[in-house]
Amino acid sequence: MAENLWALREQKRISVAALANRAGLPIGLIMEYESGQRSIDPRHLSRLARALYVEESTIKLQSDPRPGAAPLERQPVRETPPAPVTIPKPPAPRPREKSARPKPVPRPPVPPRPSQLAHLDNLLKRIKKTTAELEAELGKPLSSLDRSAFSTLLKDLQARVQATPMPARHRAYLPEAVDEFEARYLTAAQEHRDLLHFTLFDGSTVDGVVVGFSPYSITVETPDGAEVTVNKLAIVCYTRRPRRQEPTP
Amino acid sequence: MSLGDYLRLLRAKRQGITPWEIEAATELPKGLYRQLEQRYRAMGDDDVIRMLADFYGVPFAELRWRFDWPRKALSRTLMAMSLRQEPLTLHLWNGQVVTGTVMWWDLGALALDVGAEEPLIVQRHAVERWSPRLPNVGHPADEADADDADDPDEDEIEE
Repeated sequence: MAENLWALREQKRISVAALANRAGLPIGLIMEYESGQRSIDPRHLSRLARALYVEESTIKLQSDPRPGAAPLERQPVRETPPAPVTIPKPPAPRPREKSARPKPVPRPPVPPRPSQLAHLDNLLKRIKKTTAELEAELGKPLSSLDRSAFSTLLKDLQARVQATPMPARHRAYLPEAVDEFEARYLTAAQEHRDLLHFTLFDGSTVDGVVVGFSPYSITVETPDGAEVTVNKLAIVCYTRRPRRQEPTP
Repeated sequence: MSLGDYLRLLRAKRQGITPWEIEAATELPKGLYRQLEQRYRAMGDDDVIRMLADFYGVPFAELRWRFDWPRKALSRTLMAMSLRQEPLTLHLWNGQVVTGTVMWWDLGALALDVGAEEPLIVQRHAVERWSPRLPNVGHPADEADADDADDPDEDEIEE
C-alpha cells in the first residue's frame, strides 16, 4: 500500500535535506512533494525510492498534507527589485600576535667542503690552470663562493676536463709479472720441433725437442726417443740448436 | 741467484720441507720464511739469515751475499739494459760467464743476444751476479710503479 512521502521519510528517520541530498533533488521540490502541492514527477520517483530504500510503488504520487501542518506558502514574486542588502562586513581580523619565535635571520653562506677544495685542485691541474687564472676568469675570488656555487663551478670544470683529450697513459712495463716471453719462445720451439740444448745445474746437458712445458718444467724428447722432464729449477740456460744440426726424423 | 731462490733450492734439496715446518724448527716469525722465498725484494736481516744458515747447515756468508743481489735489483738492471741496448754480463750458477744484450725478460727467464745464431735463454734463478750493477735505475716513469707492482703477492701474508 502506497504511503505519503513524508511518512516514509519519517519512518526512515532522515531529514528533508538528507533525502534531497540522497535523491539529488532540490529541498524545495521535496517539500512541495511532501505537502501535496505537487505530485511526484515519475522521473523523480525512482530516485526517491532508492533514497528511501523502498519500492517505487510504496510511494504515493500525491502525498496527503501532514495533519496540522501549515500549507506551504510560496514567496510572492517581487515586482520591484529589492533594496540592496547590506551585508555587514565581517569584523576585521585581529592582528596576529607576534610569535615568540624570532624572525629567521638569513644564513651566512656555507663555505665549500674540504673535499670540494681538493677536487678543485685536481681539476685545475688537469686543465693546467692556476687558482689566480680561474679567479680572473670568474671575475671574483674563490673565497666569495659558497658551497652551492662551488659545486656548480666544479661541475663546469669537470665538463671541461672531460672535453679535453687525455694523452695516452704510460703504463709501467712489468714483464716480471708474467712469463709470457719464455712461454712464447717454448711454444714456437715446440711447433717447429726445434732441438734445444739445456745446461743443467749439475753441469750435465740435455738435448731434446720440446713436447710440453709448464711454468715449472719442460718435457723434451731426446734424440734417442726418450722423454725427459727437466725441472726449471735445475736449468741454468738453454739455446736452440741451429737447424742444420737437427736430426733427420 | 737471489737469497729467495737459493732458499727455495735448499728447501727442495731437503725433500720439500714446508715453510711452516722451517718456521717451527727455527724462531722465525710466522709467515716470514714464505716472504723470504717469494718476495722479490730483500727480506729479513742478518739474524734471520744466521738462523737459516744454522738450519740448513750452510755458511752464513753463503746466504749473506745473496741477500745483496735480490730479484728486484736484477729486474732493474734488465730493464735499464734492455732500454739502452747495452751489453750485460751475467755470472751464472755453473761458473759460466755470458755477455750479451737483453732481448726480452720476464718472470722466469731472459733472452740474451750473445752474438751467436740463436739467443741464449737464461733462467733468472741461475744468475748469481751481474755487471754493470745499476742500483735503482730503469725507466724513470716506471720506477715508482715497478717497485710495488711486480711483487705479485705483496699483500698475501700468511696469518
